[in-house]
Amino acid sequence: MTAQALQIDRELERLDGLWEDGLQDTYKSYMDFVGAYEPAERPRLALAAALIESGLRLQGLGGPAAAAAPLLMGDLCLARASRLLADHASQTLQVAFARAIEKMSANAASGEAGGPVREFLVLALESGR
Amino acid sequence: MIAQRLRFKTSSPTQFVDITEKLREEVRKSGLRMGRIHLQSLHTTVGLAVNENEPLLLRDFESLLERLAPTGVGYEHDDFARRFKIALDEPINGHAHCRQLLLTGFATLLVENGDLVLGRWQSVFAVELDGPRTRELAIQLDGDFEAKKSEVARAPRALSSPLAGEVARRAGGGVQSSTSADKELVELELTRQLLADPDPVAVPMRRLVEAGGKRLRPRLVQLTAHIGPRHDPLRAAALAAAVELLHNATLIHDDYVDESTHRRGRPTVAAAEGPERAIAVGDFYFAKATRLIAEIGNNDVTSTIADALEAICAAQIDDVALRGAYPGDHASYLKVVRGKTAALFAASCASGAQLSEAKPDEVETLRRYGDLLGVAFQMADDMVDFSPNSGKPVGLDIRQRVLSLPLIYAAEDKEVGPEVRRLLAGSLGDAEVNRVTELVRSSDALKRVGDEARALVEGALRELEAIELDGLRPTLVGLARSAVDRDS
Repeated sequence: MTAQALQIDRELERLDGLWEDGLQDTYKSYMDFVGAYEPAERPRLALAAALIESGLRLQGLGGPAAAAAPLLMGDLCLARASRLLADHASQTLQVAFARAIEKMSANAASGEAGGPVREFLVLALESGR
Repeated sequence: MIAQRLRFKTSSPTQFVDITEKLREEVRKSGLRMGRIHLQSLHTTVGLAVNENEPLLLRDFESLLERLAPTGVGYEHDDFARRFKIALDEPINGHAHCRQLLLTGFATLLVENGDLVLGRWQSVFAVELDGPRTRELAIQLDGDFEAKKSEVARAPRALSSPLAGEVARRAGGGVQSSTSADKELVELELTRQLLADPDPVAVPMRRLVEAGGKRLRPRLVQLTAHIGPRHDPLRAAALAAAVELLHNATLIHDDYVDESTHRRGRPTVAAAEGPERAIAVGDFYFAKATRLIAEIGNNDVTSTIADALEAICAAQIDDVALRGAYPGDHASYLKVVRGKTAALFAASCASGAQLSEAKPDEVETLRRYGDLLGVAFQMADDMVDFSPNSGKPVGLDIRQRVLSLPLIYAAEDKEVGPEVRRLLAGSLGDAEVNRVTELVRSSDALKRVGDEARALVEGALRELEAIELDGLRPTLVGLARSAVDRDS
């Protein structure tokens, strides 16, 4: 299904290439975890989670540092997710996502192996209800 | 201490407006348990009174005022031919001023057990003497407040200390007296937040924060948080500190992208700790700052900062892309600077005002002020790269091919432009950087940039003329001017 059909195409401005390059599949995966939220909010919450996962992957968090261009694209993914959450998520969910990123980045800074990004974000989605 | 404004509209020339319930509500919302609420009329034709709210009695009061200071009996104040500096809409209201002299312009009411201390028949009135108009009272609540749940949850170790309590009291005590207290409060909040974080992220960030920086963004948040009726110094400091952390998080990633080795005279996080750690530290504080802002619980503030963050990241991508066409042109420069620098200045101004529940038109005015100030600030910053007295290495922006307006203007210059463009197109060693610096200084590029920055500041200051700023105007004016007129 296209982003336009999902009514999230406006949220993908400047990120079109990423959608075709894996973001779409990540998004679909998160749609399985947003069933407890209002139907109208589900696509944007799943997209926010997918953007965080893709953003952290682009930056190389916890692994070898990304080059400048993918790092900045990763930053934009995180910022877009943050704005989506500010506009569409409860305060509880905003805080849960932020804490998940804090945990993952603190692990990365410590050189500790954290769990997969998706686990953290799914937990955030569950605790943010 | 909580300071705020109580606004109300009146509907007739003389009117006793019962504000008792509004004051009770302010006391309840503030959490003041034992203390005082101070009221002050901000008008010379509005008085205050404590009396009985009985309609016939209120008519007696009106009659009394009319007898003591009758309308239209030839007050000298109303003889416009003998007065200077009369506004076009100056009202004939000598009677109203004289009546106000019979009342009082200020009052203090006691608060016990979270409620006003009033006798059975006592009500508090704002007395309109020259209506109908929109009016405003300054109110301050001080004494012992109950701890708000959200503040307890955030365990303000430092902010609940006697020192922070004193700082907060001073920060609530009017704009002039709060300036230094505001600064202390935001430093305390930054220290407190960094103490709570794990060392692998906190240590590099602490090094960056402690190295200084101008703290312009938190300053703007704290200043504009005085605009609306609900000024809370602690919440303003929490937002200001979060904005500063967010700004520093973006700098950490920028420094890695720009391959900068030093910032504020110290090694960058990327240079000192390696790029992997720099990315993690930037991400941690990006997330923490957005969380702290979300926890403040004001949706408008959260959205304002989130929009700015998105603009910053998009502009950073544009900035790097433009380096292929270095030094670029004025339009591209403005597009990048509006996102990269001005967006957070504008958001700082808007979010502070939103936090204080300022009116939407005030928020937008301050947003425009911040935007213009941010662009002007960046232009002034560009000029520093050509100053031998700035304390920064001269020509660093050229070496790193950072977008710079003096370079754009020099490249357009008829005399030096061809050589500047030729040098910038090749590899940039010390000799080339020094020569470009010389060429820029010999052209009128720096003067043009300085003039443009100052014109933007004047534009920012004109924006402020549209709103009531109480005592805030001199500070905002001074801050704007100092942003472009640096010692360098």
